[in-house]
Amino acid sequence: MFRLLPSLAKSLNSMYQNLFFIQPIVTVKDLSVMRGEYLAVDNVSFELLPGTHTAIIGPNGAGKSTLIKTILGLIEKRSGEVKLFNCSGRQLNRFKTEIGYIPQKFPFDRTFPLTVSELVGLGLNTKQWWYDRKPKYRIIQQALEQVHLSKQAKQKIGTLSGGELKRVLLAYCLVVPRRLLVLDEALAGVDATGEMEFAALLNNLKQEQNWTILEVSHDLDLVSKYCDSVICLNRQLLYQGSPQDTLTPENLLQIYGSLVSPTCHHHEPTRRTESF
Amino acid sequence: MNLPDVLSLFSLPFMQRAILGGVLFGILGGILGSFLILRRLSLFGDTVGHSAMLGVVLAALLELPSTWTLIGFTVAFGLGVIYLIDKTDLGSDTVLCISLSGSVALGTIGFSYLKGYRGNLLSILFGDILAISNTDLILLLLLLSVTLAWLMISLPEQILLTLNSDLAIVKGLPVRSHRYLFIVLLAITIALTIRAVGILLVNGFLVIPAATARLICQQFVPFLATAAGVGALSGVMGMVISGAFDLPSGPSIVLVQLFGFLAVALWCRQS
Repeated sequence: MFRLLPSLAKSLNSMYQNLFFIQPIVTVKDLSVMRGEYLAVDNVSFELLPGTHTAIIGPNGAGKSTLIKTILGLIEKRSGEVKLFNCSGRQLNRFKTEIGYIPQKFPFDRTFPLTVSELVGLGLNTKQWWYDRKPKYRIIQQALEQVHLSKQAKQKIGTLSGGELKRVLLAYCLVVPRRLLVLDEALAGVDATGEMEFAALLNNLKQEQNWTILEVSHDLDLVSKYCDSVICLNRQLLYQGSPQDTLTPENLLQIYGSLVSPTCHHHEPTRRTESF
Repeated sequence: MNLPDVLSLFSLPFMQRAILGGVLFGILGGILGSFLILRRLSLFGDTVGHSAMLGVVLAALLELPSTWTLIGFTVAFGLGVIYLIDKTDLGSDTVLCISLSGSVALGTIGFSYLKGYRGNLLSILFGDILAISNTDLILLLLLLSVTLAWLMISLPEQILLTLNSDLAIVKGLPVRSHRYLFIVLLAITIALTIRAVGILLVNGFLVIPAATARLICQQFVPFLATAAGVGALSGVMGMVISGAFDLPSGPSIVLVQLFGFLAVALWCRQS
């Protein structure tokens, strides 16, 4: 009886989708990606519905970053299909401004002559950037206020801390309406307090902006607190489902190769699953 | 030389053309150099500059018009080098050094095959801004207009691309065409600048004004404007000094740029 439940839920879900014509924001079908000679992502398929917040988890080298970079078109795929907003290839070009991306690493020269508000302004389209000067400054200021960084507006980007820089990139995503936000371990290199603040901020903005979020995360506590769907990846897709269903000790043992501490659902800011 | 003599020198048409040329080279070098140093392509200017020797020798051997051959050659060479950097895993500095050595070796061998007058080697190495013609000036003005139009259309895109190309790709910008167009503009600028200041000094025009502006500017647009301004100002000052003290022009301009850079660097250190 209980075994039937997931398949029943699945069919109910697809019925619901068909009934209300809900288009998935992201559709990945039989996707395989090579990194050199190595098959980094092996035959992965999943869908993300509008308004959902999904985390990809998995051990180091599981292909998490490769997967989302392929979805974003930063890496060529070997086979399979990726659709965003039900479009792929050239059709997707006109929707590209609706995708926000916060990379794991953001290497830049610390002396790069660019201020925080200038960086945020780069999120606007070129026409807005040149012509709508007054609204442009208002939009930028508003975005910086939303991430609590309005005081740093005139600061050079090289002077920011890791956590502040990630929030500036979030403000960069806020200046135009986005439907999909992709975060590649946005919290890497951020201290524990910054991490919690960022997660809470993202959660508030998600509801306000009605974003669909796909993120790579190492922090299972934050995943179970804020995400409504989890994809467990180790080159292949191992499990997909709600955090309660997927983050069970048995599954984690299989994914990470060792048993994750049973306290993982109670947040302890200093501990991260990377160390397992 | 006393003051009236110096003033009469600047009333000569070739001197006026040279000063205007110096200003235009300075502005172009400042603008393109700003992107060049931030994209970590400083060595690229040097490589394409040195490869021009092969271009000049080819033009002489094949008896082709030198300006157009040089422009065509530097553009093709620049695009070829960027293509190699994109397609190989060698690292850009390695590819640039290999291309530089290869083109200079080929150019030197080609030079030994040139018959007749060969005294123009020095003019390739050091250039002659006083020999700048009206055609050169028109070409320069045209190039400057194209460069400014390019910036008007795509400045925010160029900044984003320079800062982080992944963000630019996700935003849907045509990153590759932007890159290649920049290289084409840069290669033409280098080809024209070489005739004025020579292979050895061309990179100074690209790197020094932009490096000076980077020391003092916090924001991007002022940085770009300052680099162009420093380039233009050192063009005029260098020409005046070279006229007044009878010094070679190209090196005088680069020395003015250098002293400007050092002065700003010292001032920044103190404050």
